[in-house]
Amino acid sequence: MIKAHHVSKEVRSAEGKLVILNEVSLSLDKGQSLAITGASGSGKSTLLGLLAGLDLPSSGSITLDGDEITAMDEEGRAAVRARSVGFVFQSFQLLPGLSALENVMMPLELHGVAGARDKAQMFLERVGLAERLQHYPKQLSGGEQQRVAIARAFASEPAILFADEPTGNLDTVTGSKIIDLLFDLNREQGTTLVLVTHEERLASLCECRMQLEAGKVLLTEECA
Amino acid sequence: MLALRLLWRNWRSGEVKILAFSLLMAVAIVSGIGVFTDRLENALIKESNSFLGADRIVRGSKPFDPAWHLDADKAGVEHAEVTSFSSMVFAGDDMHLAAVKAVTPGYPLVGNLVVSDVPFSTNVAEQRVAANIPPEGEAWVDSRLLPLLGVKLGDTVFVGEHSLQITRVVISEPDRGDGFSLFGARLLMNAADLPATEVIQPGSRVSYQWLLAAPDAQLKPFLADLELKLTEHQRVVDLESAQRGLSKTLGTGQRFLMLAGVIGVLLAGVAIAISSQRFAARHVDQVALLKSLGAGAWRIRSLYAAQLFLLALFASGAGLVVGELLQRAVAILASQMFNIELALGGAEPYFIGVLTGFVCLLFFALPPLWHLPVVPPLKVLRRDMPVEPLRNGLQALLGVSAVLCLIWIYSGDLRLTGSVSAGLGVIVGLALLGAGVLLNIGRKLAAKKGHIWRLALASLDRRRGQSLVQILVFATAFMLLLTLSTVRTSLIDEWRFQLPEDAPNHFLVNIAPWQVAPIQTLAENNELEISALYPMVRGRIQQINQAEPENKRSEAWRREVNLSWATELPKDNKITDGVWWDQWSPSVPNEWGVSVEKGIAEDLQLNIGDQISFSLGGLELNARVASIRSLNWDSMRPNFYFLFSPGALDGYSPMYLTSLFLPPEKKLFINDLLHEQPTIVVVEMDKVIAQIRTIVERVSAGVEGVLWMVLASGLLVLFAAVNASMDSRMQEAGLLRALGSRRKLILGSVAVEFASLGLFAGVLAVIGTEVLLLGLQAWVFNIPVQPHYELWLLGPLLGAALVGGLGVYSCRKVVTVAPGLVLRELA
Repeated sequence: MIKAHHVSKEVRSAEGKLVILNEVSLSLDKGQSLAITGASGSGKSTLLGLLAGLDLPSSGSITLDGDEITAMDEEGRAAVRARSVGFVFQSFQLLPGLSALENVMMPLELHGVAGARDKAQMFLERVGLAERLQHYPKQLSGGEQQRVAIARAFASEPAILFADEPTGNLDTVTGSKIIDLLFDLNREQGTTLVLVTHEERLASLCECRMQLEAGKVLLTEECA
Repeated sequence: MLALRLLWRNWRSGEVKILAFSLLMAVAIVSGIGVFTDRLENALIKESNSFLGADRIVRGSKPFDPAWHLDADKAGVEHAEVTSFSSMVFAGDDMHLAAVKAVTPGYPLVGNLVVSDVPFSTNVAEQRVAANIPPEGEAWVDSRLLPLLGVKLGDTVFVGEHSLQITRVVISEPDRGDGFSLFGARLLMNAADLPATEVIQPGSRVSYQWLLAAPDAQLKPFLADLELKLTEHQRVVDLESAQRGLSKTLGTGQRFLMLAGVIGVLLAGVAIAISSQRFAARHVDQVALLKSLGAGAWRIRSLYAAQLFLLALFASGAGLVVGELLQRAVAILASQMFNIELALGGAEPYFIGVLTGFVCLLFFALPPLWHLPVVPPLKVLRRDMPVEPLRNGLQALLGVSAVLCLIWIYSGDLRLTGSVSAGLGVIVGLALLGAGVLLNIGRKLAAKKGHIWRLALASLDRRRGQSLVQILVFATAFMLLLTLSTVRTSLIDEWRFQLPEDAPNHFLVNIAPWQVAPIQTLAENNELEISALYPMVRGRIQQINQAEPENKRSEAWRREVNLSWATELPKDNKITDGVWWDQWSPSVPNEWGVSVEKGIAEDLQLNIGDQISFSLGGLELNARVASIRSLNWDSMRPNFYFLFSPGALDGYSPMYLTSLFLPPEKKLFINDLLHEQPTIVVVEMDKVIAQIRTIVERVSAGVEGVLWMVLASGLLVLFAAVNASMDSRMQEAGLLRALGSRRKLILGSVAVEFASLGLFAGVLAVIGTEVLLLGLQAWVFNIPVQPHYELWLLGPLLGAALVGGLGVYSCRKVVTVAPGLVLRELA
């Protein structure tokens, strides 16, 4: 489902060339889950961005759901994201002007899915927000906002879900509930899951693990 | 449909509201001003054409071909004939040289003939608009003819061989001001009675006028055909040629309204640009999210383009409705206050309004949004990733092109477009240079003040770029508003100055030298003041440079003209070429010089040094053109086409001309004067002046109405500009509030910050206003250029008060709502 081959990312800065990711390779089959861990600045979010086709590597190739996204232009990658990818972000990334229901409907409407409203409502009910459909993000707690984000991610039934520190902005108890919800839905839909986290419990729930340090793979635990 | 849903959601979240409101106001103001101006112009043209009694007149010294009547009927052009001549009117032993006007049914085609059954009536209730012309066998006369002839209503008078019964008095005729050629009291009669009078004989001096009225679409082609049939003794007259002064006032008024419209468009454009910047800034995250969800750049572009298009559509529709309501409200107000009946406007202003909305959106709103589709999707993960908006220079260039394009579309006037654009260019440059200096001075001054001042000025300095842009916007808005209100004041003053309350309204002509003293005594006994006496000799042009031209179309060849001389250059006259007598010397001894009015000099193709031969009662007088003069025809003072060097007319027994102001209650002075000095001719201009005053008042009223509409759009710009920087200021204020700062400190520093911006902008605006006014007064409105000291106090103070007040108003929420909520909303 995901294949990365010798992926590197370099940026130019005032101090010269800076290597953020160095020769990272990985392979993940359909339905598997991978946790990318590491200290702050180790390159894990960069790797997530590259795997999801949000950015291009300086070298190496990435194949996503059968398409080599590193050989495509931005329009092509957008099409792959539209078809196969969902996201959950640390900062939730809900649109403040839209209600919970409209936030979940957004990707469905964007892809022209019929019955977007019903489907969005169903997913919000599934994440336990049946009573909060018309609430705006600022009227919701952090945990509730992340549930909306999870409903939004799963509503478009992506083949692969990328989650960037999904519990990073939540307290332990809430974070724990979010983790359970994420994995429950993941199992139900058979989604391939790639998540970035520094939380041990979250990482331990994944079948595969990759630990980064200064852009290099420090440790890879083969998928169970 | 997705775009529509997105637009609705964005609308609900408030981001689109200011943009939509700016757009709505742009369309409302442009279409509102446009329609109002159009209606006002139509009303004024109608009103002014009533000076002719028609839309156009064909004037001639011979009767018109009756076949033309059929042509006019076919072309759907209304027509009527007026035959004017001077004739003795008798009643028993009394007689008077009256100004007789014989008219055909339909007269007047434009404007009203007001009559009364009460002589010398000043009470409107006793007066009425005549529905028809005098029936056959009847005459309507000026009130003062009754005592002159010793008759009353119902009595009979003789015009030539025909008797007419006087049945009404004429209070006013629309075309009274048409030329000075006929003097004496009016007698209006039916043209059907004319043959029976046997007054018109071969060689009689008669003026024939064919009045025409129709919408331009019918009238213009008809006139084009007619022009080919006219003889050299016939010509078409419109308001421009008949009433130059009035036409100038109307022209200036129209240019003002156009300037006001242009300024309205500019202000609305600036408001749109500012709110679009804010809209774009707030949408960067949304776009990044949409891209992460798989929307490509083209999808994003089309989604936003569709939203903008829909927004333009809705806002333009609403703008048209608001504009219509606005102009109707101003029209009702104007008609109540100034008794203006406005005609209907055309559809063009509505179209221009909508076009303005779309052009504004395209050039002002699209550039700030242009970079949105290239926002990298990675920004969803890295919120601090910089996004490169379209370069400011390019945005400014697009904005300037739009401004030029809009001013041109709106005014169709190159000089106005050039003046405003050049003025704005200078102002923007000055503002960009000056605002930085002002900010530095402010910061240094604040260092010596309390912490509210330091906090405020430090905040301005920290947002240096944004502050500069805001100062520029405020300065531009203030400059435009100050300019408009100053031009309006100058114009209205100028118009009022042209015709002061006691402007001379009667001319006394044909005064013999021995009559001067008795007339002055009579005037003094009646407590009237007679202005200077001008010598006058009537003469005809014979030759120019010893030759007669082939083409003698100019009026000056065909009729006698009034000649005079003067030692001093008369007031309001300006030498445009050559020199006045004090610097002039004849090329041969005993040669006389003549100064010629500019218009007639162009007509006769006269140049400095040309020799003109005049015939004065059979005697020849040669003079060399020494200067060309322009003069003010609005002044209501005696003006002459030809002014000779002193002494030139000494041997030609001059008669004198003077003017005086006669209040309505002393109108009968004319009768006393004419009884005592029957050879004097009195030209009554009082009714004409009253008509001109009405028009000037109406133009002024229109100008006022439009000014208020533009002021409203100026406030909108200020509001949009204040709001544009509110997010970051609210965040800071919320943080300060969370840290325990008191309400006074927060609101105080916001007030000082915005008042300083307003003050700086006010200073720059005044400099800009003076520069812009210099151009407008000198090149566009031709009114005297003068400094405006009051602005130097008013501009900065008004700027500080308005912007400071709006700033505090917009920021008030931060001290009334819990700081946590403010920070969370803005997070």
